[in-house]
Amino acid sequence: MAINIGYFMSESIQSFRRNWVMSLGAVITIYLSLLLVGASLASSMIVGQVVRSVEEKVSIRVFLKDGAAPADVDAMNKALVADARVKDVTYTSKEKALEEFKLTMADSPEIIDQLEVNPLPASLDVDLEKPQDVTAVVEMIKANPNFIKVADRPDDPEKSLKYGQQIVNQLFAFTRVLRAVGVVFIVMLAVISLIFINNTIRIAIYARRKEIGIMRLVGASNWFIRTPFLLEGTLQSLLGAFLALLTLGSIQWFVMPKVKEIISFMPVSLSVGSSVQISLILVLSGVIIGLAGSAVALRRYLKV
Amino acid sequence: MISMRNVSKTYGADKPALYDVNVEIEQGEFVFLVGHSGSGKSTFIRLMQRELLPSEGTIVVAGQDLTKMKNWKVPYLRRNIGCVFQDFKLLPNKTTYENVAFALEVIGRSKHVIRTQVPEVLRLVGLEEKINSYPDELSGGEQQRVSIARAFVNRPPLLLADEPTGNLDPATSLGIMSLFSRINKTGTTVLVATHDREMVDSMRKRVIALENGRVIRDQDRGVYGYGD
Repeated sequence: MAINIGYFMSESIQSFRRNWVMSLGAVITIYLSLLLVGASLASSMIVGQVVRSVEEKVSIRVFLKDGAAPADVDAMNKALVADARVKDVTYTSKEKALEEFKLTMADSPEIIDQLEVNPLPASLDVDLEKPQDVTAVVEMIKANPNFIKVADRPDDPEKSLKYGQQIVNQLFAFTRVLRAVGVVFIVMLAVISLIFINNTIRIAIYARRKEIGIMRLVGASNWFIRTPFLLEGTLQSLLGAFLALLTLGSIQWFVMPKVKEIISFMPVSLSVGSSVQISLILVLSGVIIGLAGSAVALRRYLKV
Repeated sequence: MISMRNVSKTYGADKPALYDVNVEIEQGEFVFLVGHSGSGKSTFIRLMQRELLPSEGTIVVAGQDLTKMKNWKVPYLRRNIGCVFQDFKLLPNKTTYENVAFALEVIGRSKHVIRTQVPEVLRLVGLEEKINSYPDELSGGEQQRVSIARAFVNRPPLLLADEPTGNLDPATSLGIMSLFSRINKTGTTVLVATHDREMVDSMRKRVIALENGRVIRDQDRGVYGYGD
C-alpha cells in the first residue's frame, strides 16, 4: 500500500505538470468560486453580527415635554415597566441629555458654547426583551392616555418617539439580497469548476490512454487505474481551496483591522470559531467538487 | 486451459464475426490460430481476454466461466493471461526495464519482486544488454521481445499473441517464434494468431484455421494450408 500511495501521488503530480494550463485553469476557477463562497460566508456572518448589535441597541425613546407633570411621567413609566415585553426603562433628565450631547460633540465645543438654554428634552429610554416587539410596544405607548400628556410634541406624537425598527428592516432586506445573489454566484461558479475539472481529467485520461490500455491489459484493478485521476481532481481543488483560504486570511489580517478603525462603532471582526468554520467548509467543498468532477469524468471517459 | 462451446459473436446486425466455435486447448499446448484478415482471429483473442463477451455460448479460461464473470474480477483474470500484439504497445517514455516493471507495479507487486523478476525475464528474452534503452532506440524485433517480456514477467499460465510478427521481417520473426517455443516449454499455454504462412509451416504445431468466423480445420502438427 505504501508503494501505491507514492505511485498515485507521483502519477497525479506528473499529470498536473504535463497538462499544467488546464490544471491551472481548474485551480483558478475553484479558487475563485471558493473565495466567493468564503467571502460571502464571512460577510453574512459579519452582517449577522452587525444586525444583532443594532438589534441590541434597539430601544424606544419617549421624549418628554419640558415641565411635564412628574405624576404623569411616573404613570407612563409604570405602564411601561408593567409591560412584559419591556426589559428596562431609564429616565434621562434634560441635564443628562445635554451632558451626553456634549460628549458626542466633544470635537466641536463651539456648538455647545453657542447654546444659551438647554434645547434637549428629557426622555424615557425603553429597552426591550426582544427587538421584534418594537412596533407593538410603540403602538402600546401611543395608545396610552398619559403619553399625550407628557409627549414633547403632543401635536405630532410620532415625532416624540424614536426607535430603530427602520434600520433593522433595511439591514434584513440587505442581507436577504446579499444571500440570494451569493447563492446564485456560488452555484454558477461551482458548475464552472465542475466542468473545468471534468475537462482536465478528460484530457489527463486522453494523455495517458496508452498507459491505461496497458494497465488494463496486464490486469491492474479498476481502482488502481481510477485513483490517480480522482486524486488529481481532488488535489487541484484542494489547491484552489488553500489559495482561497490564504486570500481570505490575508484580508482578515491586513485589511479588516483598517476597516475596523474606520467603522469602529460596528463589530466587523470575525471570531476564531467562525474563521475555523469557514475554513472547514471551504476545504470540504473543495474535496467534494474535486471528487465529483473527476468521478463524472471517469464515468464518461474511462472504461475499465 | 481454454474451452469454447458453441461460441458466436455478432457485432451489431452484421454477419457474425465468429459462428458456433468449439475449441478445447489443454494446459501446455502451443496453438496457431490462422486465417485471413477478418476471419475472426482478433475477435477470438479478445474473447479470451474478456475484452468482449460472446453473443452465444460459453467460454472457460483457466477454470473460470468468462460469461458469468463479474466485471471487477476481470483484472484478476488478465493477470493470468499474457498478451502480445503486432504494435508492441510499449510506453515510449519508459526504458526497457521500466516498461516490463510497469506490468508488475500496477498489479501491486513489491519492489523486491520487481527487482528480481524483471532482469530474469529480460535475460530470458535476450535483452539484458538493452535494459536502459528506450523503445525508439530498439529494433522492431527487440521491441517485440520487450513486449513478450512484459507479457511473461508475471509467469501467466496462458500467453496470447495477436499477429506478433506482423511488423517484423522473416529472420526476426523466426527468433520471436523460437522465443514463444521456449516460453511454451516452461509449461505456459501459447496461442498465436497469425497469417504468417512460413512460420506456421516451419513450426509444425497444432493449427486451428478460421474462415468467415467458422473453424474450418483443427489439426495437430498442421500447416497454414490455404491455397492462395
